[in-house]
Amino acid sequence: MFDILKELIFSSGAVSLTGGNLVMWLVAFVLFYLAIKKQYEPLLLLPIAFGILVVNLPLTFLMEPEHGLIWFFYHYGIEFDIIPPLIFLGLGAMIDFGPLIANPKTLLLGAGAQAGLYVTFFAAILFGFDLQEAGSIAIIGGADGPTTIYLTSKLAPHLLGATAVSAYAYMALVPIIQPPMMKLLTTEHERKIVMTKLRPVSRLQKVCFPIVTAMTIMLVVPPAAPLISMLMLGNLFKESGVVERLTNASANELMNIVTIFLGLSIGATMTATTFLNPKVLFIFFLGLFAFVVSTGAGLLMAKLMNLFLKDKINPLIGAAGVSAVPMAARCVHKVGSEANRRNYLLMHAMGPNVAGVIGTVVAAAILLKNLG
Amino acid sequence: METNWSKVIEVFSSGIIGVFLVMVLLQILTQLSTRVIDLVESWGKDESSESEVKK
Amino acid sequence: MPELVAPIAGNVWKILVSVGDKVELDDELVILEALKMETPIYCDDAGTVTEIKVKEGDAVNEDDVLIVID
Repeated sequence: MFDILKELIFSSGAVSLTGGNLVMWLVAFVLFYLAIKKQYEPLLLLPIAFGILVVNLPLTFLMEPEHGLIWFFYHYGIEFDIIPPLIFLGLGAMIDFGPLIANPKTLLLGAGAQAGLYVTFFAAILFGFDLQEAGSIAIIGGADGPTTIYLTSKLAPHLLGATAVSAYAYMALVPIIQPPMMKLLTTEHERKIVMTKLRPVSRLQKVCFPIVTAMTIMLVVPPAAPLISMLMLGNLFKESGVVERLTNASANELMNIVTIFLGLSIGATMTATTFLNPKVLFIFFLGLFAFVVSTGAGLLMAKLMNLFLKDKINPLIGAAGVSAVPMAARCVHKVGSEANRRNYLLMHAMGPNVAGVIGTVVAAAILLKNLG
Repeated sequence: METNWSKVIEVFSSGIIGVFLVMVLLQILTQLSTRVIDLVESWGKDESSESEVKK
Repeated sequence: MPELVAPIAGNVWKILVSVGDKVELDDELVILEALKMETPIYCDDAGTVTEIKVKEGDAVNEDDVLIVID
């Protein structure tokens, strides 16, 4: 009787716990708090946090290669590059490229913000990361979760947990990170600029845009194909107006299903041994740096464009060039209306905002081509 | 580990230039297609009312 | 007769005035909701509300008339 009890205790996970596991529990609980209480990106942070918790319970072997349940999700979903493109399919089915088509100049703002991403790449090298790791960290500045996960899983899979969590966490913190930078780099006068109304966009234009964009980008940067093809397919579903069922399936059911597997597998990569590493702190620091620099680069790009434009744009919308749809656009709108309460920048900011998504994918594809 | 600075510079510059080139190209194509569609749609209005489906 | 038009597309979240109310320049008349964000719409002229063309929950497009002011 006593022996059976003793064996039960010694075969339990509890005796194999390490200090690291306990720290990771703490990380998981912090994320639970942020997701449930603060509602920061709960759709992702909640499954991520649970993934972290269960993978740090010893002897469960959930991430054991070839055996563990979550390992299968991770292997077939993320290592096989299936989940991030499927999320893009859903995003495409939700995004309205109308403001971008009405004002194509904003594509340049989407490119401007990506310049910040390469500055971060440089900074990460200085911090002692290798090229592949630096590329994965830099892409955090693109403020796009699926792209960050896609690129990191190709270049530096051991950093996946850290880059994904910092991308999603900072995206939720956009309303706190961006305004100081916006106020620093623009004058009160510039923030008051009211932009001319967007021209109406016809249905045919909206249908043509995803086709033209998909062809162009895939011809020029083929490594962007998995993400951009799905994004534009989703958008074509939506804009064609003839396959409402597919649009809804992509944007709702499919998106929600893969989000569960995405969050859980990302969380499960964060075992104590991979995550409790001084490098991770640097990643969080550099991720924040990336957001700040990309915001700045977008703002400066807008100011640069204003030197040549007759119809001035409000430089604030440059800050929406980091993707983070639609948090960044909302943030621009808010700061703009603080300066001038009759300034409604929301739709103007959606242009660079969705351009930022395209820009980040292109930037990721170029990094992949050079470093992969 | 030794950092390969020439590679760093290459990635850095090719990245920035590449992103801008692609986005500028996309901008030109979007403007072009918008203009073409505007033309097509204004023709369509003259001829018939069912121009919407035509490309 | 001045009209208050929607500066952006969205849903009508709250209507803060009713017919017959006197309004001043810069009063908040309507709150629109777009992209899960509340955007207050301010009055451009002083006058009396003569007609409210929308009700709470309506979806409006850019330039739709929300309120007529005399």
